[in-house]
Amino acid sequence: MKLYSLSVLHKGATKSNLLKSAYDLSSFSFFQRSSVQEFMTFTSALIVERSAHGSRASVKEQEYLCHVYVRNDSLSAVVIADSEYPQRVAFTLLDKVLEEFSRQVESIDWPSGNPDTINYKALDIHLAKYQNPREADAMTKVQAELDETKIILHNTMESLLDRGEKLDDLVQKSEHLGNQSKAFYKTARKQNSCCEVM
Amino acid sequence: MAETENEVEVLVQRVVKDINNAFKRNPNIDEIGLIPCPEVRYNRSPIVLVENKLGVESWCVKYLLPYVHNKLLLYRQRKQWLDREALVDITCTLLLLNPDFTTAWNVRKELLQCGALSPERDLYLGKLALTKFPKSPETWIHRRWILQQVLRECSSPGPDRKEQGDGDRRDAAEKTRLSEHLHRVLHEEMKVCADAAGRYPSNYNAWSHRVWVLQNMAPGNLKVLHDELSSMRQWVSMHVSDHSGFHYRQFLLKALVRELSQSLSSSSPQHYHPQPSSSHSPHKANPHHQANGEPTAAAPCPSPPSPEDLASVPALPQLFHQEVELCTDLIKSFPGHETLWCHRRHVFYLWHHWRRDHHYGQGFGSESPQPNHTDAGLSSHPHTACPGGVGLDRVQRRNGQAQEGQDAMEVDGVGVPDPRDTKRLKRGPPGPCPPALSSEHSFVASVLDSCRSPEQGRFALAYRKWLDSVIGQ
Repeated sequence: MKLYSLSVLHKGATKSNLLKSAYDLSSFSFFQRSSVQEFMTFTSALIVERSAHGSRASVKEQEYLCHVYVRNDSLSAVVIADSEYPQRVAFTLLDKVLEEFSRQVESIDWPSGNPDTINYKALDIHLAKYQNPREADAMTKVQAELDETKIILHNTMESLLDRGEKLDDLVQKSEHLGNQSKAFYKTARKQNSCCEVM
Repeated sequence: MAETENEVEVLVQRVVKDINNAFKRNPNIDEIGLIPCPEVRYNRSPIVLVENKLGVESWCVKYLLPYVHNKLLLYRQRKQWLDREALVDITCTLLLLNPDFTTAWNVRKELLQCGALSPERDLYLGKLALTKFPKSPETWIHRRWILQQVLRECSSPGPDRKEQGDGDRRDAAEKTRLSEHLHRVLHEEMKVCADAAGRYPSNYNAWSHRVWVLQNMAPGNLKVLHDELSSMRQWVSMHVSDHSGFHYRQFLLKALVRELSQSLSSSSPQHYHPQPSSSHSPHKANPHHQANGEPTAAAPCPSPPSPEDLASVPALPQLFHQEVELCTDLIKSFPGHETLWCHRRHVFYLWHHWRRDHHYGQGFGSESPQPNHTDAGLSSHPHTACPGGVGLDRVQRRNGQAQEGQDAMEVDGVGVPDPRDTKRLKRGPPGPCPPALSSEHSFVASVLDSCRSPEQGRFALAYRKWLDSVIGQ
């Protein structure tokens, strides 16, 4: 039952802008961590770009579940978890983070900010605390607030893409991925191996 | 790009040397990994050492592995000689790249047997290989072979020791040292298994190795069994769909049931002979049966359950109650995981049958000892060793006379006075309610009432059906 990354982004007209992110990569093999982190950023940004305003969704990719909340004011958050982590707690976390973020960071800074300029420090703490969903005491709150029927479930990343769009192309064009990660993705896809994409 | 044989050979020599040097430079290496790096870089070493992590750049593997593999095979076919040191280095390199290469492990077995390698070295190598290949069957198998060697050494210390003047004292000291050593080895194994289980979901190989270790290095050891049960609670709570982790708990419970039942049926002190567990009781599983078909190790004599051990382990009804409580807690907190419902079935089934076996055919206050009977000897022996357990069992015996299905009576029975038992009942407060068919049905009802997940609903209904068809007979 694990959380791997937590990101706050701004959904722009054509692209999403990463404002802050936190990662827990301790369960990944040491030498894969930098690639994994890049892929998680890439995935989070892509999901926000392809999700509508005012929507919540869970996107399944291999053994990961990416939960996203895009608010009507374009402020968005994505948490990447494993398949055991309870969905309701994940969405409680997203709500909480966005609420706090929007109080601490002026909306004028959202469209153009980046992790270095944005002054929001609590993301790592939230990620660590919510690793144990029960300690985070989210369960009781969740019952009342969340309407699960409104959460869209995507069974693959592909289902977020437009017709004709290929994930491979998006990977190649992405500015979130370094050359090494792109090359790694290419070989992993070619071999169709059980190497993780993320 | 055509690589000449010579280029590859140079590369191989370099890699083998670099890996060897890395271990020398840093004896605390605790993880190996593959570095995604598709560009071939002949001029640079593909071996990277960062903190305590040893990495191999991915580009070199396809040249390195076939070459080294072939070299070892040529040695095996006696077409090419390799001295011991070269063998150690080559097999080490090979196994870090592909630990399922049985021949390499077998060469290391030979090296071990002629003294060129220590068991600790191979346990370390195996542990490293498992950080990258947590399932690797050959690694686990080799590990068991090593542990068997270790066990053999520990259970038969050298004959010359007996020749010493103060032989007895030395033997005792030696025994303590060996048993402490085994204890450390056991705990290290538990750690290796836990790490591997965390790296791959439902890692059957890791968990069945764990079972093997307990069966061979701590057979019938109540304290170890109970400690494992306690320490695994947190782990399974954070891995609620790991079937193998829960299966391990089922194994622990079964083993505890076996040990605690025996102790109760032979509660008189003179039954505690220091004997190998295989001859101790007819209830024990066939000692030659292993989880994976491998032969049992020559286990050292397990210490019989001491009164302290028995007192520190809760009574069976309480153990079962705790397990069901854990399961309930997890099912309610994390809806929709079939593993948890399967676990519940196993636990309740075990409980149900244990209860039946230990009350079935019991006399009405008769004192004739029966082999299976928990209460055999209870009425005739003073109860120094098992406080809570005996009290509860006594309670159950009275109420076991009720028919199947009227389990609600058990709870009530705690307060029923019985002149013979006044002394025992006064010993302490009654234990928690053991699991019962009626409480299980209530549980299902409460889940169905409050659940919002369709899977949870299905699992609950299936469990109810199982209760009715399997248990409620």
